[in-house]
Amino acid sequence: MPDESNRQNPDAAAPDAHAASPDQDAQTTVKSTETKPPTLEGTLKEFAGCFDLGYRTFPRNQVHAVYLEYLIDADQLHRQLNQPFLEADDAQAAQLLTQSIFQPITTLNESVDSVLYGSTMLFFQGQAYALNLARSIGRSIEQTETETVIAGPHDGFVENLIENIALIRKRIRSSHLKFISLSVGEVTKTQVVIAYIEGLANDHFVKQLKTRIHDIEIDALHEANMLVQLIDDNPNSYFPQYMVTERPDSICSKLTSGRVVGLVDGSPSAFVAPTSFFEFFASPDDYYQRWHLGTALRILRFIGFAITIGFTAIYVSVTTYHYEMIPHTMLLNLTKSRSNVPFPPLYEALLMETTIELLREAGARLPTKIGQTIGIVGGIVIGQAAVQAGFTSNILIIAVASSAIASFVIPSYTMSASIRLLRFGLILLAGFWGNFGLILGIGFIIVHLSGITNLGSSYLTPAAPMNRTDWLDTFIRGPFSKLIFRPSQPASPNRVKTKQRK
Amino acid sequence: MQEKLHGYHIALIVYMLELDVTVFSLPRIVAENLGTNGWIGLILLAFVAVCNIALIQLVYRAGKGRSIYEIAEQSIPKLLLYPVYLLLAIFWIGLGSFIGKKYVLIYQMISFPTTSASLLYISIALLAYYMLTKGIYNMGKAITLFCYMTIILTVLLFYYTNDWELSRFTTYLFQGAAEGHSFKNWLEVYTIFVGYEITLFLFPYSDKKTLFKGVYCGQILNLTIYLILIMLCFGFFSFEQLKSIMYPVINLLSYIELPFLNRLENLVFTLFLFSNVISIALFSWMALTATQRVFPRVKLRFLELGILALSVGISFYPSILRDSEKLLRYAMYGEAGLAFMLPLLLLALLFFQNKKAGGNGGTPA
Repeated sequence: MPDESNRQNPDAAAPDAHAASPDQDAQTTVKSTETKPPTLEGTLKEFAGCFDLGYRTFPRNQVHAVYLEYLIDADQLHRQLNQPFLEADDAQAAQLLTQSIFQPITTLNESVDSVLYGSTMLFFQGQAYALNLARSIGRSIEQTETETVIAGPHDGFVENLIENIALIRKRIRSSHLKFISLSVGEVTKTQVVIAYIEGLANDHFVKQLKTRIHDIEIDALHEANMLVQLIDDNPNSYFPQYMVTERPDSICSKLTSGRVVGLVDGSPSAFVAPTSFFEFFASPDDYYQRWHLGTALRILRFIGFAITIGFTAIYVSVTTYHYEMIPHTMLLNLTKSRSNVPFPPLYEALLMETTIELLREAGARLPTKIGQTIGIVGGIVIGQAAVQAGFTSNILIIAVASSAIASFVIPSYTMSASIRLLRFGLILLAGFWGNFGLILGIGFIIVHLSGITNLGSSYLTPAAPMNRTDWLDTFIRGPFSKLIFRPSQPASPNRVKTKQRK
Repeated sequence: MQEKLHGYHIALIVYMLELDVTVFSLPRIVAENLGTNGWIGLILLAFVAVCNIALIQLVYRAGKGRSIYEIAEQSIPKLLLYPVYLLLAIFWIGLGSFIGKKYVLIYQMISFPTTSASLLYISIALLAYYMLTKGIYNMGKAITLFCYMTIILTVLLFYYTNDWELSRFTTYLFQGAAEGHSFKNWLEVYTIFVGYEITLFLFPYSDKKTLFKGVYCGQILNLTIYLILIMLCFGFFSFEQLKSIMYPVINLLSYIELPFLNRLENLVFTLFLFSNVISIALFSWMALTATQRVFPRVKLRFLELGILALSVGISFYPSILRDSEKLLRYAMYGEAGLAFMLPLLLLALLFFQNKKAGGNGGTPA
């Protein structure tokens, strides 16, 4: 493994040919190019019809260079290739090519891959060399829009893998931090990088993640959120099983807790394995505030989760079947408000929930300025007009709005979206069978959650299997002096995080 | 490698299996059968249950942690055993379905008088089936979460602080039992502890070190919760009142009036759906382990489906609450007997097996 991970040159973006090859099983082309020697003609033939292909020769020597013009840095090209080789004769060129920046290439397949990853292929006297001149493409580091925090670093990952790796390296100055490069997608050959800290991460998880990514068979990969669905233990489960985040600080804290991290080129999201259900409720914010406040925020999120899942469903259940549960002081208001509504509570609730979801989806797709308008118009339509028109009751508006707001308290967007959809199922069950249906639905959710595993470890850690020390950093955010152990789920060989001085 | 259940989860499994629909009538059963201060009798009965667990522990030690099926099959021909396995499986599936049916019938009585009880039963049987398909380890995880959700309800206890009076306990011991004292009456109370015998089947699936610690803890947790509940009822209702209320715990809950919620029994009784589903699922799981021995080649999924079908089929039989209670009571007697008989039989078998092997240690007694 070290030979794959100890990448000397951080900007050497091309993945190892060995790592790249297993999933390229397009039988015809790959098989033939795998064994063929790298030749200029072969490489040019592969790229025939690509207008962005650059090909140049030098007047005083026999060196031929092939590259993709827009993938490489023109300045580097000039300094590393044009300048030295322009004046060199054959003997000097041979001398120049002995430098370590020129990597000898042995197969046509490797040669084509190198060009695709931003290297320049040099052909000279029957030998082939790759010179990495890849330039950084895409936006530079920016703030993430989906996971903002008030206190704490504001930088977020971007689409550029090199920048993302640099962000992690900059935060964890340790030679034990290892990166394994793999390639996924028969057509796209997207680079996927697994990061872990040697000695902290469990080898079992690293190996398993590596094998799973190796075994992916897909033509194109565009996003980390897409990748994690291909390596899930339970592909048909409803819940996201890998935590995905755009925050480098969060990723670094996962790495130091012994977890394994994956990055995908072209995606600003990184994923973490193994992940538990409760991790989706933690935010880096919790650690940047006093522990009391961090704890209160965590508990608030769990309350938010309960409200999102159950509030509207309880409204439906109570107003349909269990009127006796409402105290008589509240009953008058409720019946007065409900008396104008022509629909049964179930339809009323589904109608309003769907409207809220429509508003949310419309707001998400529109530019911020128009999005605000949608919010205001929607707010007026839902808040005032719907009640006055006798479409819905005031109390339902409160239930629907608070459960929608509560759903946004959950820091992970994927989890929050999953939970919002789950709500509809519970509302339906509550409409059919009242409390019985609601609790039955919750029962199904819990049994489902217990069956989920992430890389073979329990999704419900630390509630089940029970681990008391983990509770200190899951359901509450304990003071740093008490957070002595790393979480149990990653099964780190080095459990002790800090040895407190006495 | 198969993950092993830790003692903590075993404690909760035992606790949740023992806790079932009977808990809602428990204070009445205790008052009727044991009389005044029946809670002391409950402690005595719990001691009997602990002795039974100790017997199971002896089986575990003498059999060196082997599964009970392996122990039995070593001495008794399989042809003789298979019908017994099947009978036991049917009995357990029946027991689970009687528990579920009784719960559903009570639910129908308090909330859904017009909904078909069979439909409600099928829905909870489906949940139990879903649980069964996850395997015992994942069932343990689900049970842990269900347990947290129900055990939190003990905070409601503090609502009764002002209405609870010690004087209602009286100074008499075991007086006023409805039919006097008899073995049958004490046995009826004893059946509330039925469930710990699942330990026999957990041998291969649990962590060696913590298994019995877990079982004892589960039993003690169960006793504690029962005692709290019974003492609450004995101090809240008068003794005669307690004897005449069918489900005192439901009455107890309907007394609660929170500022934003009344008639809590609607919600709390529904939450107890979990403990009943767990009972169905765990008894079905016991049946599954037995049927697996008989049909080792049949796919697990088919056996599970068969158990579900049988469970639903049996549940059609009791159609009114009185029938269902009677059936459940008899099934519970049978199960309580089985809980004693099985370890004794196994110990006898092990005694001969070890003797045959040269008696080199591990013999019971």
